[in-house]
Amino acid sequence: MNRPMNRRIRLEILCNRFQAIVDEMAQAIQRTAHTVFVKETQDYGAALVSRTGEVIAAPRRYGVLMMIGMPMAAALAACGDDIADGDVFVSNDPDATRGMATHLSDVYLWRPIFVEGRLLCWAWSFIHVSDIGGRVPGSIAPSSHEIYQEGLRIPPQKLIRAGQLDRALLETVLANCRTPAQNWGDMKACLAGLDTAWRRVRALVSCYGFDVVESTAGEALDYAEAQARRVIAHVPDGTWRYSDYLEADMVGQGLVRIHVALTIAGGEMLLDFTGSAPQVRAALNIPTWGHHGHWMLITGLVNWLCTCEPAIAYNAGLVRPLKVKIPRGTILNPEPGAACGARYATSHKVCDVTLGALAQAVPMELPATDSGQGSILLVSVPDFQAGGRKVSVVQPIVGGAGGRPGDDGVDGTMVILNFLKNIPTEIFENEMPEIAIRHYGLRPDSGGAGTFRGGTGIEIEFETSAPYTQVTSRCMERYLFGPPGRLGGEMGAVGYTLLNPGSERERDLGKIDLLEMEPGDRLRIGTQGGGGFGDPLEREAHKVAADVANGYVARASAARHYGVVLADDGTVDEQASAARRQAIRTARGWSKPPLHGFGAARTAHSALWTEALEDAIVAASEGMPVELRQFLHARLLAEIARRHAAGERPAPPDVAAILAGLRAELRPSG
Amino acid sequence: MAGYRLGIDTGGTFTDLQLMDEASGAVIALKTPSTPDDPSRAVAAGIQALRDRHGIAADAIRYFAHGTTLALNTLLERTGARVGVLMTRGFTDTLELRRLRLSKANDFFVPKPVSPVPRRRVRPIAERMRADGRVETAPRRDDVEEQVRALLAEGIEILAICFLHAHRNPAHERQAQAWVEQAFPGLPVCASSHIWPQQREYERAAVAVANAYVAPRMAAYFQRLEMLCQRLAMPCRPFATKSNGGVMSLASAAARPVETLLSGPACGVVAAHILATAAGCDDIVTFDMGGTSADMSVVEGALRTGGETAVGDVPIVVPAVDICALGAGGGSIARVDAEGVLKVGPRSAGARPGPACYGWGGKEATVTDAWLVAGILSPAGLLGGEMALDQAAASRAIDRLAVPLGASRRQAADAVLQVAIAGIYAELLPQLARRGVDAAGFALFAYGAAGPTAAFMLAREAEIARVIVPPAPGLLCALGGLLGDLRADFVASVWRDTATLAGDELQAIFARLEDEARAWLAEQKVALERVYLLRSADLCYAGQSFEVNVPFPEEAGELTAAAMVGWFHRRYRTLYGYADAEAPVRMLEARLQIVGATASPRPAAPARPGSAAGPSGKRLVCENGETAWADVWPRQHLRPGEAYHGPLIVEQYDSTAYVPAGFTLSVDAQGHLVGERSR
Repeated sequence: MNRPMNRRIRLEILCNRFQAIVDEMAQAIQRTAHTVFVKETQDYGAALVSRTGEVIAAPRRYGVLMMIGMPMAAALAACGDDIADGDVFVSNDPDATRGMATHLSDVYLWRPIFVEGRLLCWAWSFIHVSDIGGRVPGSIAPSSHEIYQEGLRIPPQKLIRAGQLDRALLETVLANCRTPAQNWGDMKACLAGLDTAWRRVRALVSCYGFDVVESTAGEALDYAEAQARRVIAHVPDGTWRYSDYLEADMVGQGLVRIHVALTIAGGEMLLDFTGSAPQVRAALNIPTWGHHGHWMLITGLVNWLCTCEPAIAYNAGLVRPLKVKIPRGTILNPEPGAACGARYATSHKVCDVTLGALAQAVPMELPATDSGQGSILLVSVPDFQAGGRKVSVVQPIVGGAGGRPGDDGVDGTMVILNFLKNIPTEIFENEMPEIAIRHYGLRPDSGGAGTFRGGTGIEIEFETSAPYTQVTSRCMERYLFGPPGRLGGEMGAVGYTLLNPGSERERDLGKIDLLEMEPGDRLRIGTQGGGGFGDPLEREAHKVAADVANGYVARASAARHYGVVLADDGTVDEQASAARRQAIRTARGWSKPPLHGFGAARTAHSALWTEALEDAIVAASEGMPVELRQFLHARLLAEIARRHAAGERPAPPDVAAILAGLRAELRPSG
Repeated sequence: MAGYRLGIDTGGTFTDLQLMDEASGAVIALKTPSTPDDPSRAVAAGIQALRDRHGIAADAIRYFAHGTTLALNTLLERTGARVGVLMTRGFTDTLELRRLRLSKANDFFVPKPVSPVPRRRVRPIAERMRADGRVETAPRRDDVEEQVRALLAEGIEILAICFLHAHRNPAHERQAQAWVEQAFPGLPVCASSHIWPQQREYERAAVAVANAYVAPRMAAYFQRLEMLCQRLAMPCRPFATKSNGGVMSLASAAARPVETLLSGPACGVVAAHILATAAGCDDIVTFDMGGTSADMSVVEGALRTGGETAVGDVPIVVPAVDICALGAGGGSIARVDAEGVLKVGPRSAGARPGPACYGWGGKEATVTDAWLVAGILSPAGLLGGEMALDQAAASRAIDRLAVPLGASRRQAADAVLQVAIAGIYAELLPQLARRGVDAAGFALFAYGAAGPTAAFMLAREAEIARVIVPPAPGLLCALGGLLGDLRADFVASVWRDTATLAGDELQAIFARLEDEARAWLAEQKVALERVYLLRSADLCYAGQSFEVNVPFPEEAGELTAAAMVGWFHRRYRTLYGYADAEAPVRMLEARLQIVGATASPRPAAPARPGSAAGPSGKRLVCENGETAWADVWPRQHLRPGEAYHGPLIVEQYDSTAYVPAGFTLSVDAQGHLVGERSR
């Protein structure tokens, strides 16, 4: 049946139909997949993709929500012309797909949808498999420094040819994984999702006709682009710069600078990441291949677009106006072969940086910075019954959300990682009775002060009774520089890790990579609070009193940060508070609130390591071969740090000469 | 003397009554305005109306089941009691942390979840149980009393006790409760291991706390209701309807009001299931559409219950009929966005101001306005003309869309309907997929005031071949109450590999549940025709996180772990197409439901006039791009054995059914409208 219909009305109806198809795909995948990753962290995706590699529709509620910025054109080109109905392609290779896959653990499967012998579009899916081989179980270790350590690479090729499974390929893949049965189960779930899409798209064509479906898909992309441009256009034109640091000290990489210059003009955004650090010898690189609108670079901006326009069409048109410029050989655009397993930490920092830049233009549309840490705490103990070791997730270790114009930040979790679920202590202790959780709660007094308080972090403490208990936690962040506040709001607390707190054996461990504990040892981790939004002195005093009564804020902090003095019964002492607030106002000496509340540590750091100096440092080694650059960049940072310590203040123009000196030392002697 | 069964369902706007003659099965339906300040006034008014209009006195009512949204609204609107909570030291933030996950994605301004209990009213007790039920630290009486004294100083009205691992060993909770009851007589206590002893400390605490939160208000209401029944000399004790589709005594409901939270929609599904089965249709997708939302449930031979429902932010893991919301209702607002694209929802005009055509101050066009302008709803109004509709206001609202769309008024109304249906379709299909259901083999069972108006269009979109509309679609929830059985659920968390479970251990677990269940049934004090037990277990492959509820066969013989694992493999294969007979299987929960059926007849088909009356008129209907004359039939004029071809409109007191071209309508022996899609 071909329905005569106004084009724009048809557009909304077909957008709904496309959405129904991808949501149904996602449900089919989730229902038939089995691993914890899928159920608890929703680490899978589904999409319909145009012939040109643009996502026509992707789920908004299920799975990984950022499929819309996945660059798929290179993977499609790799399929060549030998494409037939019933084929299914597979790949996980970031280099061969030029940034579609971003680490090896995500296995992508995609299938052409032919109707009446013509290729209409593609059904697409991925799933994070439990293990894809490599040097460590689970395949991902922050300390891996080349992709070959991170598992098996599968270049784009047919897993299924016209309905026939390539068993040899499958067996080769599974033979290289520690969890073959689980992986194949998860891949089958993806195949079920692709099959759903294939059936539904064909049914849609029988209802509306090939040409209508195809042209409306194109209109849906244009529609999303128009909506995104409209949202962007309400921001005044201009360029805003912002930088922050990835704390890669625990893998020997020090502070890794992420820098953006965000230019808004003509309804487009240009994200110029020039000035971000060279690629690192750790699994923190993001192989974006410099694609415009790459999903790992735009999570913050897409959240902003969707917050401004909740009904925005969720497809690749939305990212068309998000342009990107990244020099090759840097952490956000590494050369082929770079390790990338733990790239999530970097992606989250990019989110913070892009929002920090955008906030200069539209401060009232964005929350202050969230905790910035999305870490999964794993523990393993020897299994004396079955042999080997037992491994379990203790908890996702995330912190609070930033305060927002109009509302406090969410306590204990973040908007960006809204899908994460915690693990009930009753289940964990049942699975791993060797470990006792002693405390799991909010971390009082950790949210950044503000008119709207940052959400508090969390605290967890556990005790082991097993020898050789091993603890790992990848993507720990913000132990040095806390989440910045905004518009007078203050920084949220930094994270901490303490071994045996409150005892003689207490040790401050900082970020952990791998930790071994003995029977009786206790480990306590506190996560970051979100940054505060707005001047804390403007927070209504009764709200501060309520926060103290409920233990979110300490009494002393109420006086120190909010200028609210409480009587013994917990009520506000109006007179003392007015005086205290006036004293704070006078002492801090600003009348217009600072946009970013960086806190003392970052402010002190930036006083030495100025933006101009950092720009010069990154620029100095540009163009060198990867390993030479990494080596000299590290030497350069060390040398400038040495000079700072000696009381010198190297100026940006000096940097090139310092580097030349370091390079000269490398020449063979004689 | 003739006896009657009465079902009353209190909703936001109307209180619905259904009265069934126990001898003949004849049903009388009635609506009366709700009285939210004291819902029992509307109940009294409804019973009075039965006497005034139908001459049926309260003393002829032999069975009375009542459903109310009071508990639901109390929890949603956070207007409940001041609750104090005792929790294991180190875990007092369990309610604050929840399971972390937020309700909305991609929204920087997602509302901050608010616990029903402020943090200061959760107090730590120095006690600790281990996962295997072993005592590590016993609670101390002075500690418990001191903390409760501090909570009383905070003005608490009721106490919840939620200790870690209390589902495994409830000794500490029981001990603390006993101490509190001795030291502070008159302070009601809810212990988590008593209310719902399932593993997962947050979910168990959420149930106990929600129960405490709504309990004082519900107890007061049920007391008023009981007094009302006594005053009216009703010769039966009223029952309260439950989220699991059953009923329970008011005494049980006052102690466990958390089990009534989702009873309204559950009763609708129960009635749909009973009526559809009588109509020879076992597999249905229910479609309940009202003013603000639409709900659906899958019935595949039996009701499906799930433990993943939520009320706002609060998860309620007590078994409830599995129902999910589909978004759009008759009050969903249509607008044209900046790019000129027509959108319907998610905003709703709700009950107030309601659609523009209600004349209550609404200016924006809603789905109901579109139905009116498209010619589907009668310009004479709703509820048989009791509720007038303002056609001019609806037209003005639709015109505001027609201009930017470049469409005529009627085309614009049609467009609103098509977009609304596409939106419901987009919600429905993934939910069916999640439940492993292909709509093609199912009938759509439509009720709610707007359900029959939208259902046929939805069926056309979703390629569902058959639509069923029951006799009184607008009052189905009240019918579910009077047809419901006594029904209660019991759970025991096991969480062990089945290989380590001896047969007698397993039997002992279920024997304990059965003792609890039979004690519950005895407390209900009611004559029953039949009692049966439904046993099941939640099982999964070890190391996987997906559990499958496996119902045990009725004639199970001696229960052994091996037999249970066999049923699991079979069920798994049915659901997922394969099963791994070698893999170790883990038992999570043991579940038991007791059902006590009262002697209830099935509702009879409504009486119809003997004359061969025809349609009452014709209306020009513009829908799906076509404009055509549709016959308008008063429902009682339709006759069994005839075939009526769409487009046509069927009007009745509580709803309007719209049957588009492509459907053929008939009336079955029970008086259902059955629409079949032409091939």
